[in-house]
Amino acid sequence: MPVVTLYLQRLQGLVGGKSSRDRIIDALPFLGLDIEEQTNEYVRVEYSPNRPDYATDVGIASGLQGLLGIKKGIDVLRVKKAQSKQLAILVDPAVRKIRPYVSGIIARGGRLDDETIRQIIALQEDLHFGIGRRRRKSSIGIHDLDAVSLPLKYTAKSNDHKFVPLVASDEMSVQQILEQTDVGRDYGKILDKSQKVPMIVDSNGSTVSFPPIINSALTTVSSKTRNILVEVTGNDKNAVDDSLSVVAAALGSLGFALHELRVGSTGTAQIFRTRSMTVDPGMINQMLGLSLSASQICQSLRKCRLDAAVKGKKITCTIPRFRFDILGPMDLVEEVALGYGIQKLSPTLPSSSSVGHKNPVTLKVDKIGQIMIGLGFLEALNSSLTSKQTLYDHTGRSSGRIIEVAESKSQEHTVLRDLLLPGLLENLSRNVHEPYPQKLFETGTVFSEDSPIGESLHIACVSAHKDVGFTEIKSVLQSMLKTFCNIECKTKTSEVPMFANGKTADVIIGGKKVGMIGEIDPQVIENFKVRVPVSGFEMTLSGVVL
Amino acid sequence: MSQVLHPIEKTIINLLKNEQSLSECQIAEKTKLSLDQTRRGIEWLKLKGLANVVESENLFVTLGKNGTAARRDGLPERKLVGLVEEKPVMFDDLRKKLLGDTNVAIANAKKNDWIEIKKSEAGNVVSIKRKPDQTAEEKLLLQIDDKRIPVEQILDMGAFESLKKRPDFVLVESEKLRTVSLSEQAKSIDTESAALGAIDVEADVPHVFAARTHPLKDTINEIREVFVSLGFSEIIGSLAQPSFWNFDALFTPQDHPAREMQDTFYIKDKTAEKFATPAQIRQISNSHRRGWRYDWGLEAAKKMVLRTHTTCVTIKHLAENKPDEARVFSLGRVFRNEKVSYKHLVEFNQVEGIVVGKNVSLRDLMGIQTEFYKKMGLYKIKFWPTFFPYTEPSLQTMVYNERLDKWVELFGMGIFRPEVTRPFGITRPVLAWGGGIERIAMLKYGLDDVREFYSNNLSWLRSVPKCQ
Repeated sequence: MPVVTLYLQRLQGLVGGKSSRDRIIDALPFLGLDIEEQTNEYVRVEYSPNRPDYATDVGIASGLQGLLGIKKGIDVLRVKKAQSKQLAILVDPAVRKIRPYVSGIIARGGRLDDETIRQIIALQEDLHFGIGRRRRKSSIGIHDLDAVSLPLKYTAKSNDHKFVPLVASDEMSVQQILEQTDVGRDYGKILDKSQKVPMIVDSNGSTVSFPPIINSALTTVSSKTRNILVEVTGNDKNAVDDSLSVVAAALGSLGFALHELRVGSTGTAQIFRTRSMTVDPGMINQMLGLSLSASQICQSLRKCRLDAAVKGKKITCTIPRFRFDILGPMDLVEEVALGYGIQKLSPTLPSSSSVGHKNPVTLKVDKIGQIMIGLGFLEALNSSLTSKQTLYDHTGRSSGRIIEVAESKSQEHTVLRDLLLPGLLENLSRNVHEPYPQKLFETGTVFSEDSPIGESLHIACVSAHKDVGFTEIKSVLQSMLKTFCNIECKTKTSEVPMFANGKTADVIIGGKKVGMIGEIDPQVIENFKVRVPVSGFEMTLSGVVL
Repeated sequence: MSQVLHPIEKTIINLLKNEQSLSECQIAEKTKLSLDQTRRGIEWLKLKGLANVVESENLFVTLGKNGTAARRDGLPERKLVGLVEEKPVMFDDLRKKLLGDTNVAIANAKKNDWIEIKKSEAGNVVSIKRKPDQTAEEKLLLQIDDKRIPVEQILDMGAFESLKKRPDFVLVESEKLRTVSLSEQAKSIDTESAALGAIDVEADVPHVFAARTHPLKDTINEIREVFVSLGFSEIIGSLAQPSFWNFDALFTPQDHPAREMQDTFYIKDKTAEKFATPAQIRQISNSHRRGWRYDWGLEAAKKMVLRTHTTCVTIKHLAENKPDEARVFSLGRVFRNEKVSYKHLVEFNQVEGIVVGKNVSLRDLMGIQTEFYKKMGLYKIKFWPTFFPYTEPSLQTMVYNERLDKWVELFGMGIFRPEVTRPFGITRPVLAWGGGIERIAMLKYGLDDVREFYSNNLSWLRSVPKCQ
């Protein structure tokens, strides 16, 4: 989850209304923000990806103003229509097949300090990651407007197109940027290398941005910048508009005057229109277990920086463009809960009641475990995801039917176990310095190839001490089954990898082979670096006793 | 203090009452106890403060291979003297008799001034100068003989040092000697009056280890009991699931970051063919198209994953049963493709409960949570808003932990989104909550490293108390 740093003095200024620091900090969790770190100077909070407007302190300040009752309802976002033909992004049809959508806005007359710039860059990065799906669906460029001459042109350029990219001092070609810079390597894969690449140039032909990779050095924003140009490009129109709406709302809250740009035949101002949603107050009360009046509900919604009005028996809620996380009436139920105050909701118990029971499978597995404990075996727990080494290499078993997971971050967890015994042997190998005898058992799910994957519950045990042998472990098996539900089993001479030849058998119940038993092969014992003899068995429970 | 003595101890005490101090071997010899019994008895007496044991190191001397031969046949120089006693002998003839000892014999005899060597035309001739008496070395060889004697008993240390210089003549062995005497307290013990047949019930005994359920399993079972006691019934499901039930059915868009391989385990080359009815698939496809505004694809839904939560079991149960009223829970392993660390595992346990009902509300959900935590012994809790993709509204429980002196995030909860329930024809609200079990178990057992649960470290498993 993304994290944002809030400098408390600055936040206090943004919230206004003479709220104390403590009051502000106490309110943060009730916006859904988790406090990660807190010092005298700042707090770091984690916000949910559905609220990208909380990626900046201005956005969080706006939320706090609502909860603390300083400002309620929507902050109206005024976007001036484009009067001049110059205020435009001209779109070259060549981009249609490579990155079709573009939008943008101009923000004038604001003030930027280093912290504000840092907040905006963090917002941009979070939007790239979340809504932009790592810049594929949308990416944002923020520029110094005064370094650009309008109108802009969104066009396609070939690999040898050159400009000075951000943070470089010399011209680089598109190909060099894709091959030699970190961003080029990370995001170059979004682009089809066989085609031309998207490029935004200004009316002088200077490069402004190479989306979705990097901006030009020419338009770098600094604390001296007063007028800002924002452009958003992408493969998904909704993601492009969503991203722009969040950036515009943040710039608006920072005191910039917003002006639309014309893209094709339409202006971008229409992107920022609010929408309304009708909701039934009865439904809200039922979901929350409250009996609020319609006007109390409207008040609660307004505290969440939405507008709301009673219309007959319903409530009409007006939602700003950047709250695209609100999909339907249930989302408004949550807004009412937050506005009303989660801390004011007292817990109740549902009036209905029922009798609970455990699953019969769980019960049986528990019972057989209790018997193993009675026989002196300690319960072990191992992961079902293990390594090829433990499962096959060390046990001398064929890995022909191995079931692997893709791209595991952990070397020890790449293969789904098909037996429990290798895990138990691994446990013995980690405990060679502990007193013997060591007797372990485990019950758990093992996997097999099926259509597509078979799962069954197994039980396995090992006994390790200097005098252990086949007789001891067969006695355990026999006694376990007998005590469990009076099952008779036979052991039939067999050759099973991992067990010593001549000292191993199939476990047979009702004529069906259900498992394996025997003395572990000395070579296998050595592979696991265990220094005493080990005997064990493993059998399936699914289809036999379950 | 009651004085219970083993028969061995009594025997040793009785013996030592008459002797000042004896070695272990001497005690064994005189009591007719085996050396092992004697040693054990002395150890017990020592622990009880009844015997003083002084350890000292003693050196013993025996004859080596060459020493034994010299004692039998004489030293090389003595043999030389014997050969030349009658008349002078040619050097070469001596060499034939004395073989390897020739040089040492000549050297020692010359040094002692017993012989003289003259050159002649035929070669060197050795003749006797004076007939020697028995030397100190020869006396020492006879003294040692075939015995093993303490170094202190050797009469002539000079001869001993010179014999030591000859290869394999004398062997010196060191031996630790334990000399035992009675403490003052022991001297006054009347062994006859000590209780007959009694054993030392105060002595330490060896540890045995109880076989038991795994501590994490104890917590899992406890949670299961709590759910059942709150009226919930357990449902179970597969660990490997089609993406459809793990993600799509829960309104997770197909390009959502959580679905990427770096967060979720996909099973290599495995896709499900039959996993849902055509109607279910159509409804889910529509729900995604409307809610997330993209073209939903069937192929992505077929890919097999290791379930990332138990919610897939819950939603499948709901889709199959469409209950009007229900209280069920599912508990089991879930998987995340994460780097393993002290706070993250790739595989852990999760529990999730749901309540379906006509008039159930968010406050009811909070009420059930409160009951649940109370039964788990957690009383100080509060609720904070949060976000989950498939519930709305969503809350999380914060529990105050005394040991850490802070609020810890535990279970998450919420009401299933209509986008999740409606495609399966479920019209009543579904309250859902759940979370990781290891987190609770860590609080219970005071662990700071979650890996401990799966390391199967016997020293921990054998020592952690069942009652927490």
